[in-house]
Amino acid sequence: MASMDVNAGLHEQLTKCGITLAASLPDDWVAPLIQRIEGDNAIRHVPVAREAEAIAICSGAFFGGVRSVALMGATGLLTCTGELATLNLRHAIPVFLIVSQRGTIDDQRIYQEVQGRRTKPLLDMFDFPYHVVERPEDIGCIPDCYETSRLQKRPFVLFLARQLMKGDVR
Amino acid sequence: MKAREAVEVLAQHRGDAVAVCALGMAANEWWGATHSEDSFYMHGAMGFAASFALGLAISLPRANVWLINADGSLCMNLGCLLTEASQQARNLKHFVIDNQVYQTVGALPMVNQGRTDYAAIARGAGFAHARTIDNLEDLKQQMPAIAAEDGPTFTVLRVTAEVGFLRTPPMTYEGPEMKYRFGRAMEKKFDITVFGPQGY
Repeated sequence: MASMDVNAGLHEQLTKCGITLAASLPDDWVAPLIQRIEGDNAIRHVPVAREAEAIAICSGAFFGGVRSVALMGATGLLTCTGELATLNLRHAIPVFLIVSQRGTIDDQRIYQEVQGRRTKPLLDMFDFPYHVVERPEDIGCIPDCYETSRLQKRPFVLFLARQLMKGDVR
Repeated sequence: MKAREAVEVLAQHRGDAVAVCALGMAANEWWGATHSEDSFYMHGAMGFAASFALGLAISLPRANVWLINADGSLCMNLGCLLTEASQQARNLKHFVIDNQVYQTVGALPMVNQGRTDYAAIARGAGFAHARTIDNLEDLKQQMPAIAAEDGPTFTVLRVTAEVGFLRTPPMTYEGPEMKYRFGRAMEKKFDITVFGPQGY
């Protein structure tokens, strides 16, 4: 289980980014962060029924001058690739995603193994930048990741590693 | 009524509303009727114009946001109705051009053609205001009240399926240019900052 400090730190960094809108569909790793955001009156939280909704909501928010984040699990990210390509790549609209990095060697779950093997190659193919946060002391990179999304005008995926979110719990 | 006739009535009552259009027939007809740059015409992400419009509406509560959706797009993401209903955006109106076919690809029939009551689905999702209008006279009569009511609202415009490919041409600019035209229009209209000091 991630310490309270990790989710508090992630939340603090999102605030530093100027984010005032979050759209989410949880997996168990990002659920505590989503619950923190739900309790923050400075961030409007939009629970969605499918992850690609979060992508399009954040894209619409961009044109309202609002900074936003889409939160989801790795499987959800895979379901969004068509929309990321035909909305965000097509129109050069930035969107910032925070995604659990499932399927790594320390995440021995059979239903996550394809995500672990194929997600990064898929992002590479689209030329979508990503960064993995593995340790609590690296959380401070988040504002730079957010600005990279804006600068490169495309989706940026910030992966949360298992060690960061779950510690030594198996 | 034909799709263009219905869209023209919407356009006449649009006032200062910003529009988000689903790709294909809805976007092309709205462009044909309005040639407006304070409208976003989706080029992809079929089914997700609704989510885009919701994100815009909740980010900018003083904007009136009209979603010009189509039945094919709605059916790709019916879950959007749950999300829209949950957010209760007073400034969002959802219109669906329901021609019962996939017009842009040659008028092949919609899934479950003729049997789906989209307004009932919207009511079931939690929309307090949902209706279907199937003729031009009723649309003209009801449109002032629809334009004036608080959102979220859901209005299905049941139009005649037209045979073959509709040749209504799309907007004359695309992809990144559309982003910048729409973003600059939003900045000018609402005195907001969409793009940073270096233009991105």
